[in-house]
Amino acid sequence: MTDAQFRVTLASDDTTPVVVASGDIDLANVADFSDAMAKAANGSTALTVDLTEVNYCDSAAVRALFAVAATTELTMIVAATGPIKTLLGISGLDRVAAVVTME
Amino acid sequence: MPIPNFQPREKGSDNELLVRILERVQRDLPDAVGLAITVHERGHDPEMTVMAARGFGREIVQAQLDGLGGPVVDAVTHQIPVLSLDLWTDERWPDLTLDQMVARHREHSAAWSQLGGSVAVPGVWEADATVVLSCTLDRPATAATVNTLVGYEQLIFAAMLASGAWDGTAVADMMAVLQSRGAIEQAKGAIMGCLRCDAETAWSTLRRASHESNVKLRTLAVALMEHIGGSPAEQPAVGSPIVPDEAARKAARLLWAVLTHAPKPVSAGN
Repeated sequence: MTDAQFRVTLASDDTTPVVVASGDIDLANVADFSDAMAKAANGSTALTVDLTEVNYCDSAAVRALFAVAATTELTMIVAATGPIKTLLGISGLDRVAAVVTME
Repeated sequence: MPIPNFQPREKGSDNELLVRILERVQRDLPDAVGLAITVHERGHDPEMTVMAARGFGREIVQAQLDGLGGPVVDAVTHQIPVLSLDLWTDERWPDLTLDQMVARHREHSAAWSQLGGSVAVPGVWEADATVVLSCTLDRPATAATVNTLVGYEQLIFAAMLASGAWDGTAVADMMAVLQSRGAIEQAKGAIMGCLRCDAETAWSTLRRASHESNVKLRTLAVALMEHIGGSPAEQPAVGSPIVPDEAARKAARLLWAVLTHAPKPVSAGN
């Protein structure tokens, strides 16, 4: 395991900052997830969070995403099918943030 | 296992502390038309009860509990915050409509037609009980609405404890969950120090050991801290402590033996 679970790409002149997450996001690591999103979004009005490699999000992760969506124009990239897309629909996160699906 | 008893002391009257909390929520959300604190307890009949309400909160939540469905029910079912931009037209709850609500409470028809979005936030206690704080607004709900409700979780928990609305078993369950979060963090720290690894590796190590030994993660974490410390972990002032059984202690000994004999990773740059 060499890749960090939350990879941050900071904004450049014409790009939106990106956090690429993987694995499970739950109470055990949600603080790291929030830190990564805060670091990436710093000073930017928009943030993209790539969740295509995430298998599971618990309530804490959903809260963290709502918290970011409250202050930032949030775009989430998710697999076209699977638990994360379902989760965004159930929670209504897909109504207050943009969702891009990847086949 | 005894079933937790969530009945308020004074039946039929709202818990006063919870009502006070809802007053504060109302100040943060002046657009809220209804606020409610709903408790779900597994194995109880009915499983869900409105503990306290403000404005039209009780009527709005009761309609959801009576089979129409809605954000409060989904928040309990899925244990995540649920947001709706417009409660009556949300396709997730086709039965929860303005017509249904007018039929239930015709006297409040004017209010029902004013309703907009709604948010329900469950407490993350992981025990057999869930407390949901919900609001319904006269405008669409936003992500900030979710944040506002999340901010009251600790206060509601404290109020539930202080009011005696929960019996000892439920309190002990929840204290154990809260306490175990600390133990898990400590265990992660110990593993990080041992393996000189990051938090993520420590977490996956602990989780793998829990899976392989079939011992609950929180119990293994407490057992590991007791094994390292050579004495029982610090006892909490409230609630029942987690007492690891022999299987958990054995798993902790094994994990610690593996950890302390594992080769240290060579740091990058060498």
